[in-house]
Amino acid sequence: MHRRSVLAIALALGLTSYAGAAAAQSGPLVIYTSTPTEQMDQLVARFNESYPDVTVEYFRSGTTEVINRLQAEFTAGSAQADVLLIADTVVMTQLKADDRLQAYPDAPIAGTDASLHDPEMMFFSTKLITTGFMYNTDNVTNPATTWAELTNPEIAARLMMPSPLYSGAALINVGTVVNQDGFGWEYFEALADGGATAGRGNGGVLDAVARGEMDYGIIVDFMPLNAKAAGSPVEFVFPAEGVTAVTEPVAILAGASNVEAAQAFVAWQLSEEGQRFHVGQGYLPLREGVTPPAAFPQMEGVDVMAVAPALLLEQSDEIKQRFADLFGG
Amino acid sequence: MRQAVATGSISLGRRPIMKAETLLLAVLGLYVLGLCVWPLLRLLTTIFAGGLTEGVSFILDAWSTPAARRATVNTLEASFWATILSVVLGVAMAFLVGLSDIRLKPLLVFLLLLPLLIPPQISALAWLAMIGPQSPLWLIPGLEALRPVRNPLLGRDGIILVMGLEHAPMVFLAVRAALRGLPADLIDAARAAGSRPMGAIARIVAPLMLPALAAGAALAFVSAIGNFGVPALLGIPGRYPMLSTLIYQRLAGFGPTALADVAALALILAGMALVGIGAQVLILRRYAVATDRVGGAHAGFALGRLFWPTTIFVWLLMLLIAVMPLIALTAAALVPSVGVRLSAETVTLSNLIYVVTGLGSAQRAFANSLFLATSAAFLTVAVAAPLAWLLVARRSKMAQALNAAADAPYVLPGIVLSIAMILTFLPPVPVLGISLYNTIWILLIAYLARFLALALRPVVSAMAQIERATEEAAQMSGAGPLYRLRTVVLPMLAPALGAGALLVFLGAFSELTVSALLWSRGNETVGVVIFSLYDEGNSTAAAAVSVWVLGIVLCLALLISLVGRRLPDGVLPWRM
Repeated sequence: MHRRSVLAIALALGLTSYAGAAAAQSGPLVIYTSTPTEQMDQLVARFNESYPDVTVEYFRSGTTEVINRLQAEFTAGSAQADVLLIADTVVMTQLKADDRLQAYPDAPIAGTDASLHDPEMMFFSTKLITTGFMYNTDNVTNPATTWAELTNPEIAARLMMPSPLYSGAALINVGTVVNQDGFGWEYFEALADGGATAGRGNGGVLDAVARGEMDYGIIVDFMPLNAKAAGSPVEFVFPAEGVTAVTEPVAILAGASNVEAAQAFVAWQLSEEGQRFHVGQGYLPLREGVTPPAAFPQMEGVDVMAVAPALLLEQSDEIKQRFADLFGG
Repeated sequence: MRQAVATGSISLGRRPIMKAETLLLAVLGLYVLGLCVWPLLRLLTTIFAGGLTEGVSFILDAWSTPAARRATVNTLEASFWATILSVVLGVAMAFLVGLSDIRLKPLLVFLLLLPLLIPPQISALAWLAMIGPQSPLWLIPGLEALRPVRNPLLGRDGIILVMGLEHAPMVFLAVRAALRGLPADLIDAARAAGSRPMGAIARIVAPLMLPALAAGAALAFVSAIGNFGVPALLGIPGRYPMLSTLIYQRLAGFGPTALADVAALALILAGMALVGIGAQVLILRRYAVATDRVGGAHAGFALGRLFWPTTIFVWLLMLLIAVMPLIALTAAALVPSVGVRLSAETVTLSNLIYVVTGLGSAQRAFANSLFLATSAAFLTVAVAAPLAWLLVARRSKMAQALNAAADAPYVLPGIVLSIAMILTFLPPVPVLGISLYNTIWILLIAYLARFLALALRPVVSAMAQIERATEEAAQMSGAGPLYRLRTVVLPMLAPALGAGALLVFLGAFSELTVSALLWSRGNETVGVVIFSLYDEGNSTAAAAVSVWVLGIVLCLALLISLVGRRLPDGVLPWRM
């Protein structure tokens, strides 16, 4: 009843096209995601302000675990998710190759760099998340500024990193670093020899470093920057050699049962409103004209290390295996 | 069993008074068999569908992977040492409370039994907060130097410590109950024959306490191998996998496709639990000495010179293991952001307010857990009351069997019950044609199975103690069984029913083990949210949710204890 009366008022005001489009999306929308619970809750609440009739349910874990579950559901013949919102494009590329995704040709990507999205419009980057390292400002007075310094045994012994077996951003980080000149697997071997440990997700790294149980942590940018803004004794470093980056792509699964709501969710993420919302959560936006979060330093001087996604896709099992051998998973 | 019900109602059909009773029994039987027995049988038949040898080789296959073996060995190792710790602490405190003149015993007992009320995952969080580098403990002058650089509790030692303390009350309660039954004459006789107090304790009291001690230890061991909250919070990040966490991780990572594999692991866990339970039953049956307490209980030995040293030591210990962890947990919830040290300038209630007003998953979880715990409390008590009446007043053999069967889902590890529930309720329910998996109803069903025993125990023991004459008078005046049950028995049972309902509510409200495998999107429970917030590294919010749970649980426990003074003996699992 409520919906109908809203529609009636909208019609009377001559807002037919907009209100009609908004009211068309309804019903359950199932999202599988690696976005932390707290941020996902806020995102859903905000999305529902524009699309009140869509009932969003989500399953949240690390990207690797989310994909394990999805693959298991594919095998069992019934994937439950409509939308996938995970850390990295490598996994999306794989799912696309397996015919698990559907195209959204009309996705509103204007205003963003088209090369960030899939050319066949099957998955779309939503934000930029870089990986560098953080340190505890109570424990560290003379902080490292480069990746290379982290292999120093005094630092490595008090360093924690997320595991590619759980986190998608960590998979990209490890995969990118080992493919850089001057790094290679020798870099992670040196970290392991120095006593560095791997946790599960980025959240665990933030927790350990902020509490002072660790001095340093390899981590995605927004977590320590948000924590710092809230008063935690932490600082984030964009290493001199450059950061690695993921773009948190979103995609609609081929078997989605609520395609309309799924498209609305994707479109909202790319919209100016959605991008501003991401900024409010501490993420770097992709859309031109949307100001980055105040917590971020000037990004002009920051280099981004990159590796061809195809290479990472090819190596992803090997990366997980070699990492597990070095750090015990 | 179903057949017995059917023939019973036919042959008794001539006597309408009995028929109401049979009908009641049939309904109760349906609940117990359908919710408590059937799922567990389903677990067995899943593995042994192809015959005994095939089932055994399937279990061996599942067990032969290095991860499963390591988890099995770890489960036994950690549970063994945790049980030793529980026994040492439980027995020492039971003897001190039962046989000495130490003061303020009720408060001491309350502190010692506190772990029974606090969910394992909250205990683990509290201990992490107390030992971690940010703990307020290190602000105490003189202790700064002890501040650890990393949390030593993550891993085996932490699991042993927290589980050991968590299960010590079980040993304590068993031994204390035995001490209450010990006749003072035995000790007096030994003393008269020239024995010193310690000699009397060692030669007279200790041997008589052995069966209770062993039974309490077996119970602590079974609880340890089934524990999920502690290994999940300390063992997963500490890389010390146990069977319960391995089963959880496989199912969480791979979904229902891993069911056959985890069902085999669950049976291994159930097997271990059965050995422990069997040992407990055997010990109590064969070795429990029937001491006949005619005279009063022993007044307790004077500690004499040792009074003050013992008192100071015991209270410091209790402060350390029962009070400090909770203070540290609260402190962790009162800082604005993780890692901020608590001080007059930084203290804030914003997290506590945020988790109930702003954090959607926590809000949903509080609503869900409130609904689940309230429903479970009402429904289990609604079943427990007539079952206890049939069992005690009507001496029904069938009710006796149902009472015993209701114990199974409670004493077996919660992980085993969850797997059994998934196997049973993943396929669509016959008539309705819908699967209950991924809905809130599978959680309710699991709680109804798990906590029935918790409601039954107090109600049965109260039933055994109520005055029979009133009901007999009603019967002679021609009141039928259901009428008598409603108008005479239930009002007299009311306090015990209330206590039973509160106990079930307490158990269900912060439940984690069963929920961890059965929750689904939108159907989070409080236990699950605390665990996932912590797992994601949001330990400040996890602490804040825990503080709310702690507040609710402690208020309810206080309420029960106040009501408890008017209750018959044995209704509450603890007595101050």
